Amino acid sequence: MLSKIKTIGFILLLGPALSVGFAGIDFARQIQPILSETCYQCHGPSDTSRKGGLRLDTREGAHGSGKSGRLAITPGNLSASELIRRITTSDADDHMPPADSHKSLTTGQIDLLRRWVAEGGKWGVHWSFSPPSLPAIPKVRSLRKNHPIDAFVAASLAGFKKKLTQNADPKRLLRRVSFDLTGLPPTVNELASFEANPTPENYLESVKRLMASPRYGEHMAVGWLDLARFADTHGFQTDRYRPVWPWRDWVIGAFNQQLSFDQFVVWQLAGDLFPNPSKEQRLATTFNRLHLQNEEGGIVEEEYRVAYNVDRVNTFGTAFLGVTFECARCHDHKYDPISQREFYQLFSFFQNVDESGQSVYFGDIMPVPTTLLSSAEQDTKLAELQQRISAQEIEVKRIATNAQTEFATWRSTNTTGATLAKPVAAFTFDSMVSNIFPSSTAGKVAKPIDNPSSVDGYSGKALSLNGENGVSMPGIGHFTRADPFSLALWIQPAVHTLRQTVIHHSQAWMDAGSRGYEIVLEEGRVAVGLHHMWPGNSLKIQSIDGLPLHTWSHVAFAYDGSSRAQGLTLFINGLPVPVKILRDHLWKDITYGQPDLTVGLRMRDFGFKGGKVDELQVFDSALTAVEAARFAKVPPPSVAETELAHFIARDYPPYTTALATLRKLRQEQNGLVTSIQDIMVMEEMDEPKPAYILKRGAYDAPGERVSMNTPAAMGTLSPSAPRNRLGLARWLLEPSNPLFARVTVNRVWQHFFGRGLVETSDNFGLQGALPTHPELLDWLAVTFAQGNPELRIRPWNLQDLQRLIVTSDTYCQTSRASKSDLADDPMNLKLGRGPTRRLTAEMLRDQALFTSGLLIEKIGGPSVKPYQPDGLWEMASGGRYDTGKGGDLYRRSLYTYWKRTIPPPSMMSFDAADRSYCVVRRQSTSTPLQALALLNDTQIVEASRHLANRILKEGGATPTQQLRSGFQWITGRPPKPSETVILKQLLAEQESLFEGDTASADLLLKVGEKSTDGVHPSTKLAAWTLVAEALLNHDEAVMLR
Amino acid sequence: MTCSHINFRMDRRAFFGRFGLGLGGAALASLGSQESQAAAGGPFAGIFNSGHLPAKAKRVIYLFMSGGPSQLETFDYKPELVRRSGEDLPDSIRKGQRLTGMSANQANLPMAGSVFGFRQQGRSGAWISELLPWTSRVADDLCIVRSLHTEAINHDPAITFFQTGSQIAGRPSFGSWLSYGLGSANQNLPAFVVLISKDRIDQPLYSRLWGNGFLPSQHQGVVFRGGRDPVLYLKNPAGVSGQSRRKLLDRMAELEFLQYRDLGDPEINARVAQYEMAYRMQTSVPDIMNLSGEPESVFDLYGPEARNPGSFAANCLLARRLAERNVRFIQLYHPGWDQHGGLPTGIRRQCTDVDRASYALITDLKQRGLLDETLIIWGGEFGRTNYSQGKLTKTDYGRDHHPRCFSMWMAGGGVKPGFSYGTTDDFGYNIAENPVHVHDLQATALHQLGLSHDRLTFRSQGRDYRLTDVHGRVVRELLA
Repeated sequence: MLSKIKTIGFILLLGPALSVGFAGIDFARQIQPILSETCYQCHGPSDTSRKGGLRLDTREGAHGSGKSGRLAITPGNLSASELIRRITTSDADDHMPPADSHKSLTTGQIDLLRRWVAEGGKWGVHWSFSPPSLPAIPKVRSLRKNHPIDAFVAASLAGFKKKLTQNADPKRLLRRVSFDLTGLPPTVNELASFEANPTPENYLESVKRLMASPRYGEHMAVGWLDLARFADTHGFQTDRYRPVWPWRDWVIGAFNQQLSFDQFVVWQLAGDLFPNPSKEQRLATTFNRLHLQNEEGGIVEEEYRVAYNVDRVNTFGTAFLGVTFECARCHDHKYDPISQREFYQLFSFFQNVDESGQSVYFGDIMPVPTTLLSSAEQDTKLAELQQRISAQEIEVKRIATNAQTEFATWRSTNTTGATLAKPVAAFTFDSMVSNIFPSSTAGKVAKPIDNPSSVDGYSGKALSLNGENGVSMPGIGHFTRADPFSLALWIQPAVHTLRQTVIHHSQAWMDAGSRGYEIVLEEGRVAVGLHHMWPGNSLKIQSIDGLPLHTWSHVAFAYDGSSRAQGLTLFINGLPVPVKILRDHLWKDITYGQPDLTVGLRMRDFGFKGGKVDELQVFDSALTAVEAARFAKVPPPSVAETELAHFIARDYPPYTTALATLRKLRQEQNGLVTSIQDIMVMEEMDEPKPAYILKRGAYDAPGERVSMNTPAAMGTLSPSAPRNRLGLARWLLEPSNPLFARVTVNRVWQHFFGRGLVETSDNFGLQGALPTHPELLDWLAVTFAQGNPELRIRPWNLQDLQRLIVTSDTYCQTSRASKSDLADDPMNLKLGRGPTRRLTAEMLRDQALFTSGLLIEKIGGPSVKPYQPDGLWEMASGGRYDTGKGGDLYRRSLYTYWKRTIPPPSMMSFDAADRSYCVVRRQSTSTPLQALALLNDTQIVEASRHLANRILKEGGATPTQQLRSGFQWITGRPPKPSETVILKQLLAEQESLFEGDTASADLLLKVGEKSTDGVHPSTKLAAWTLVAEALLNHDEAVMLR
Repeated sequence: MTCSHINFRMDRRAFFGRFGLGLGGAALASLGSQESQAAAGGPFAGIFNSGHLPAKAKRVIYLFMSGGPSQLETFDYKPELVRRSGEDLPDSIRKGQRLTGMSANQANLPMAGSVFGFRQQGRSGAWISELLPWTSRVADDLCIVRSLHTEAINHDPAITFFQTGSQIAGRPSFGSWLSYGLGSANQNLPAFVVLISKDRIDQPLYSRLWGNGFLPSQHQGVVFRGGRDPVLYLKNPAGVSGQSRRKLLDRMAELEFLQYRDLGDPEINARVAQYEMAYRMQTSVPDIMNLSGEPESVFDLYGPEARNPGSFAANCLLARRLAERNVRFIQLYHPGWDQHGGLPTGIRRQCTDVDRASYALITDLKQRGLLDETLIIWGGEFGRTNYSQGKLTKTDYGRDHHPRCFSMWMAGGGVKPGFSYGTTDDFGYNIAENPVHVHDLQATALHQLGLSHDRLTFRSQGRDYRLTDVHGRVVRELLA
């Protein structure tokens, strides 16, 4: 019912506007919306929900027949058109749309459809899916200045016998444009200077000044943060902090440095895919990773990996194409020409990152893959270390190759044989002493967990495990990735499963990103992994062959501290075995805390069910082939090479000395690199992940395989374009792309007018609103994309476009509306007057801080925690909110810490966007909770006090002057005499109340952390505080008019 | 001049336009006759004057047991499971159903019968656990559903699903839908109020659970907290008396009137009305929260815990007070039901928390003649497994999340009293008959409030959204 009403509304409101310039019925603008709204649910693009075999979303369908065999439309012949018969019949069984659809057609709509069929049933493409061309600028006389935007708007107004109205008075205009460009009000001096000489030239100078201010980038960033669903936390369950503010700072910088908009978008979508991408280009791609992430224990990893990628597709669709792709996750879109296949084709562009669907619960680990946020200084240091490491690696090799002579001498003189590495811990598991297994090395023990049984082993007794028991060995095996180390043990599996954890040094599996090292069996194959966080920062190898069941196998790995797969050797039964390298990308450390080395089980992991373990040894060096053979009780390979290698490792001091130096360098490098904050980014995998249509959208129901491609209805992806995100991003910029430029300029328009030329800035599809000024929209889109040298507009230059908009009379008009204006066009769709909007959440708070002098203007940095009511986080078990101190309380609102599950309440009252998903259009509501926040929030009360103090200090000598100053600072205009009378009464009343109760005045003046430096009696300052508060709540302060 | 000179009536057309309700001109014309309602209701007016259908209930009290209470220790009696305690869950029952990562890797899945006894209660003979002696007394008022099932297996998406009809964050909450559909029947209180038990948090609760999603933000749930500032920013700043605020508001209204006279924008008057409503809330909310006027007999009914602010019992009493004042949707959360281990101890504590107060709420509403028009819903976001997570001993075990079947109850609001619906198999693992999906429950509740779940829609990003997505069936079998 609601939706029906809505369509009629649009037709009524927009009908006349749209008919301008069109002689007959316009299919795309007049007919298709009716068909979409009323018919497409059953007769649209979706094959599965189609009824009666009839589709009305294509020409072929509509001009053909359904199962009934009767033609839906016979051009020019109403009585031979089944569609017309069905919508006009009185037979309830035949009538369309059917009653149970809760849809219906108005007589006006039926009439339109009849006229359309009578005129020949001309077909067309939905307006937004055909690329914009550059319309001619209408010739309109009586324009105050020659401005293309005004020409389009005035031409359309002329159709209603209306004109652009006069400009807003200079003060309101400067306030309007200052807020729109910087999010802050103008100062009194700026107002005075502009008012003194409000020429177009001076206005343009003001615009340039505002755009050059760093506040410009901060303000522009706000909308982009909504769109990018930027937040400081992951958003699920415990909702952890993740430092992604460096990306936010990059956005601010990009606006301030005028990075052209095409680059701005391409970098964010695909900056990593440039050849030799810069750090900033990599950082920009954090955009794609800002979706919610789940660290809840026990989730199905793949389910969330898919969910994250779906969010990337949805964000891409809403932000850059203005189309809702979400529906097509589960089925062909019911209204828009997007098939489910096309959804997964897009999906496949975004999923080729080595990520995990589960973020880390234990420890603050940035979800992988990441890039390092190093300073230039750190980069120099890292490069230098890397150089020294490489040099030392060469040196180590050189020493090894030069050891031949010494080896020959040693071999001829040595009688005792080769020295064998000594384990740092070794367990036979033969017997327990006071409930623990002793190690052959002093002071080390293995503690049984849940009673592993003792059975005959490879030698003596062995552990027999059930998957939920094992032993833990505290204080053993705390190795970093820079340390050489080895494990060796006998194992006997009883069954092959997807996964069995044999031994590991880590806190948990997924819940800890596997950080640490491990030996696991994967369908019998032996896998050895060293992980910072699986899978994007890991090193993992896997044997080609599986282990036999019910047979003892000796398994050992030797790791050389190089963080390279090449430096990890797997020995089975004493021999090095061929392995598959599953990951070779370990570059941060594998340690945190000091978890126990553990055999047999791991938190929320598959244990070594039915397995046996015997003779475990741990080494702080890389075992040699000779040693691996010895421990496996097989004859050491008698190849000279092997013996030489062993000699070098154990009995050749120059080598071990050089190795120690190398290790030190690696440790230094590891320490430094691990200490530097990283940030999640896109990093394309060498091999794209296979993509499938997911049936019903379910992560575990893959269907047909698909490859990367763009939706056919939105312009083709050039065959020569790379099939990756970079190709996709550049596809947006093609002149054949019908949506990107339109959607972008529409959002820019919305920024300045509160409403887009297409009201549904998030939906340009068939269910979206039609443009109120289609030619203007297209002109702006083409001009933005291609530039216009005559108008000094550079291609994709946002500031040039914005300057064009704010210098139009359409923007500069007064927003004042007569009763008849309001009755005629309550929402100002015709643009016959200037925009009126309520300040956003950010503007309201920032205005209070700015006018009171409290605002700390510092660009960027970690998010801050200003005042918020006590106990909010605690109530929802979101940890403790530690209110910031000093300057942190007075930063601009875009720096306020955004916890997704408990967002800042005062911002939420004022319609800030939910930062859980892409939002390009905020609501603007009016509620009592807003009144409460703007009167009682500590932030506002404190700002009012400082504002009062400033008024008393700088506002003039008499109360009248002071009231005048305060009023003007906040609202931008002086009070009228009648307003001054009321304000004086307000002041007098409050002063007399406080004089009768000075204790209350003192209490009020204590609200907020920062004291005022004034010398005024507390009763006076308290009364003025409330006056200031009244001003901050005044219509002229809360609204942009 | 006083504020009474000011015309507080708002221009409805501008109201809808401004507040993004997206109604076109024709719709506004059709609503023109409801001018008075709009003027009276202001921002808290609903989109449908009186719903689509004859309403059985005027409001909902939703007692949300967050964490997922075990059905096997409360409402779903399974003697066979008790007999088979310790045996491995047969594959024929599990049928490869996915488990959470918490127990998926467990070497064995030993079935665990309840250590608590069950008895048939009331004339209806409903089986109820010994942990719920008070609830048992009102067995004949309950409509117990033992065959609920959901799609989510983890807390966050599962609670979000129950509260918003979608596992994805950002959709409007149940209460917001109701506020949007029916508006507020109270001029001094919001239509959708949230009360959270203190001290029982195990799994987090999120403000999106009572968020308005894409609905206009006046429909968001307002949390009433214990303590001096029950609604965020409700209290005047320190040092500002009621008299001071009143005078401040009067002068502000005068200034706004001048502004209105100059500009003619009805939005100005709408804002003044908000400030007045805020002022009224400053009195009405503390009034509601102040239980000191309640007679001794009431505390005898709800039990001594009702004197402990922020307890479930105190919140139930508050819920009754809010219901009396016609608040549309009263959402209680009682967390603490997530017993992966140590279930017998944990669930005993939880039942003690809620048992008597639930009984009292039903009884109290009934005595006041309000039960018929108030729909009470009791339940969590999913059930718990019939096997033990972790070790099973004679006296101790845990249970993992189980979305396949679980129990809830409703009372009042035109549902069948003394009625049980739906059964599970003897193992308590699968539904045997009459499954009820989350969307079915939502559709049924909306139906009782006079709203058709497939017609209560809101267009966002080109799609008409509903609480029940594209699903949901009114379970008529549950209706009186």
